[in-house]
Amino acid sequence: MNLRKVALLGLGCFLLLALGSMAIAQVKLEVKEHVLANGMKILMIPKPGVPRVVCHIYYKVGSINERPGITGIAHLHEHMMFKGTRMMGVTDFEADAAIDRQIDELMEKIYREKYWKQNGDQQKIADWQKQVEELVKAQKKYIIKDHLWETYMKNGGTGLNASTSDEVTGYYVTLPSNKVELQMLLESDRMMNAYFREFYSEKDVVMEERRLSENNPGFLFNEQVRAAFYVGSPYHWQVIGWMDDLRRITKKDMIEFNRKYYIPNNAVAVYVGDFKPEEIIQMAEKYFGRIPRGEDVEPIRTSVPPQYSEKRMYGQGPGMPNLQMWFHIPPDGHPDVTALNVLSGILSGETGRLTRVLVQEKDVAVRAMAMARPQWYVGAFTFNVVPKMQKGIKPEDLEKYVWEEIEKIKKDGVTAEELQKAKNRTEASFIRGLESPMFLAMRIGRAELNRGWRALLIDLEDLKKVTADDIKKVAARYFVKENCLVAVYTRGQGR
Amino acid sequence: MKRLAILVLLLVLSSFSLAIAQVSKPEELKFPPLKFEPPNPASFRVVLANGLRAYIREERALPMVNITAIINTGKLYVPKEKAGLGDLMSECLIKGGTRTRTGQQIEERIDFLGGTLNFSVGERTSTLSMSVLSKDLDEGLDIFFDVLMNPEFREDSLKLARGRMIEQMRSANDNPSQVLNREFQKVLYGEHPLTIQATRATVESLTPADLKSFHGKYFFPKNIILAAAGDFSREQLKNKINKYATKWANKSLSFPAVGKKFPEPEPGVYFIQKKINQGYVSVGHLGIEDTNPDYFAVQVMNFILGGGSFTSRITSKVRSDEGLAYNTGSRFTYRWGFPGTFSGYVQTKSETVGYAISLILKEFDRIRKEPVSEAEMETAINYYLESFADFFQSPINTMVNFANLELQGKPMNYYATYLDKVKAVNKDKVLEVARKYIQPDKMVIMIVGDFEPCNKGSDKFPGPVDKLGKVHRLKLLDPLTGQLVE
Repeated sequence: MNLRKVALLGLGCFLLLALGSMAIAQVKLEVKEHVLANGMKILMIPKPGVPRVVCHIYYKVGSINERPGITGIAHLHEHMMFKGTRMMGVTDFEADAAIDRQIDELMEKIYREKYWKQNGDQQKIADWQKQVEELVKAQKKYIIKDHLWETYMKNGGTGLNASTSDEVTGYYVTLPSNKVELQMLLESDRMMNAYFREFYSEKDVVMEERRLSENNPGFLFNEQVRAAFYVGSPYHWQVIGWMDDLRRITKKDMIEFNRKYYIPNNAVAVYVGDFKPEEIIQMAEKYFGRIPRGEDVEPIRTSVPPQYSEKRMYGQGPGMPNLQMWFHIPPDGHPDVTALNVLSGILSGETGRLTRVLVQEKDVAVRAMAMARPQWYVGAFTFNVVPKMQKGIKPEDLEKYVWEEIEKIKKDGVTAEELQKAKNRTEASFIRGLESPMFLAMRIGRAELNRGWRALLIDLEDLKKVTADDIKKVAARYFVKENCLVAVYTRGQGR
Repeated sequence: MKRLAILVLLLVLSSFSLAIAQVSKPEELKFPPLKFEPPNPASFRVVLANGLRAYIREERALPMVNITAIINTGKLYVPKEKAGLGDLMSECLIKGGTRTRTGQQIEERIDFLGGTLNFSVGERTSTLSMSVLSKDLDEGLDIFFDVLMNPEFREDSLKLARGRMIEQMRSANDNPSQVLNREFQKVLYGEHPLTIQATRATVESLTPADLKSFHGKYFFPKNIILAAAGDFSREQLKNKINKYATKWANKSLSFPAVGKKFPEPEPGVYFIQKKINQGYVSVGHLGIEDTNPDYFAVQVMNFILGGGSFTSRITSKVRSDEGLAYNTGSRFTYRWGFPGTFSGYVQTKSETVGYAISLILKEFDRIRKEPVSEAEMETAINYYLESFADFFQSPINTMVNFANLELQGKPMNYYATYLDKVKAVNKDKVLEVARKYIQPDKMVIMIVGDFEPCNKGSDKFPGPVDKLGKVHRLKLLDPLTGQLVE
């Protein structure tokens, strides 16, 4: 990655950020930026050498943009983005669309009969279902299966994937450097013209995906813990959504969701690799530039109300016992978050306080970690400890040890050495992150959609200013019982 | 308060007026030609003091250094009564300290420098990897070679690792995919060093002396290849490493003989009961080694069958058409010196387990009976050709790949001949290898799931599952004792 050399190309918007005097190294992160007239942002990090380009698109939409009734739709929509457009996935658009409309009409009748009524007519449902199956068969001759995927693959696309998180949805491919135009064509096409063929069978796929998670020991309990913690905000549900909502989501919901969020002014494209920025800009103008701007998206409104008293949960299942403690913290960008991040670094890792005391000195646990998760709108600071069952220790026995460590920090703070170690680790891991083009694209793209990609550098600068006193203060402010949820999971009956 | 210096240069986009032609289909796009020569292993290879071999590449864009030692040893050479030694050693090589440093000192120092240091014992190779900022290279190398050459395996590190391994063992039957992978291997390879499982008793019996003796036997310069990439001068790095290598004596070593005979399991259904809402399925038999001359043809064939994700037949049929699964396809796995496995896989709700398996078997059958289409061939071949440069995206991984080729005695022109070997695969060859390496009469169909609903099936494939072959009900062992639980 050509981050040290600064070559000024007389082209496009050129942005250069010098990172003051970092304690450990001088690193410059050079991102070229271009904004299209429709509001879409293009970020570029040229990295000459191997002739490949990581091409990512991120939309500012995730499960927090859902509401009860359509939980899981952001992720289902991500799946549906592979199901074709007017141009892709179909041999005769009109003929296919005619059948698709009939399927939708029948499915609407079925859903109404099934989900709107107490005792729907089972015979009617079965008849309509049969008609749907016939139509699906008839539609097959017009469908080009997984056309977009195949087109990327036969052009040497790797890292081909998509993912949905609470806040962001990303679409990924890495192509030979002479074929970036293919990504521009296909991604701009599906941003404008997504057409949700095979919607109902894809819902089945997503329900199987949820079942896979359910069979992961601890998943169902953790889902409940999260729901109890984020009682008010849309972080309440997981990205996969509730099974009942997945069953009932309609094609209409999907189209409405698409229109609202899949617009150029709600997206950023990131390119990392062997290319000339002026060529990327020219292609982006042509392909993404043709898409009309959409209506601005309002940030989500609902936050988490204060708890007022401690919450406790107990669960059993077929997994490894553990103790979790969750505390509410402010979101990303709040002045306290940097200190909380440093504190999680001091507590975690093999040389962190929790492992040193709980695992090594007291010998009551086999794993112990802490994590600050500020997120975009509401944050959490979590502790997770696995008891040493061989010594007869139970998860709930560990709670007092965690509180002891918390109280020590509130009272005595942390050492200068601990503080510097946590800072060094964060800075070095930031630099390490620059080695992988894919990881770099991900960080830049996600950060851009929240506080702008420069926030990554601002946070690194702020990190250096954190003092032992700041750590004491945030520990005292957030690690209190009425801000805490304790969750105890033991091996036993149940899922 | 230090301010970030932000320099913004806005310039008009005037020099780029050449128009890109409007297209309505991806096939109409015209791409400029692309030239790419893969890096040549010989230009990175050096032999240092005492025959220590290394692949070294300067890469000065970031102030980081990555270095990996690949040691020619692994769990395969651990005797049965010492099962678990490999995992214990993975945990203790660093944490157990050296003659002059405690494990805690090492970990604290690496963490303080913002570096990473990891060790793991694999099947036949073990790796120690470090990443440090280039300003810390000297100190990092000191620690790296100290850990590699002089580990002490202090008792406190063993105690910690044993404790963790035993808690982990308690969970060994919790996760259905973990159970399926382990039991599938056990049926295909039988009682063999490749499938031996540690128990509480074997782990508790292991001592620092056992680890020291394993280390003493295998860790010496001629049995190791280094890989390094990053911000250093190649010549200087060689000198630095030589300081350690000159003081490091070689030994004579003969590897324990390991048999290559595997049982012929009775074909049919192997069912493992677990009260979950899906069946986790593997369908297959032993496969091939990656040194097999048919390797490339097998890769292309499997890409079309079920390895090319959505472009492959099994994924398209089972996932996309039928909505039966999130995760389905087929794979050939490879292991150094032994045949790997071939399997189709799917996880689907209990009632559609039989149906999904029948669809996978149908695809196995089809690819053995009819030639694949031109379009399928084109997609598969082009995928391998066009994505080739991806192998070399990461400088350290490239060096590690070269080191592994040499360590395993594979041809060093593997990458130089790669494209030609892919191009040589044709439809006839695909049909030939499908017939040769997919063997319907040997299929082990393993299911981890809830027997009653799986056995009942659904409209499209009503049960019982013995329609797919004789049903063997397998019992899981108690992972702590290795004995049957009643």
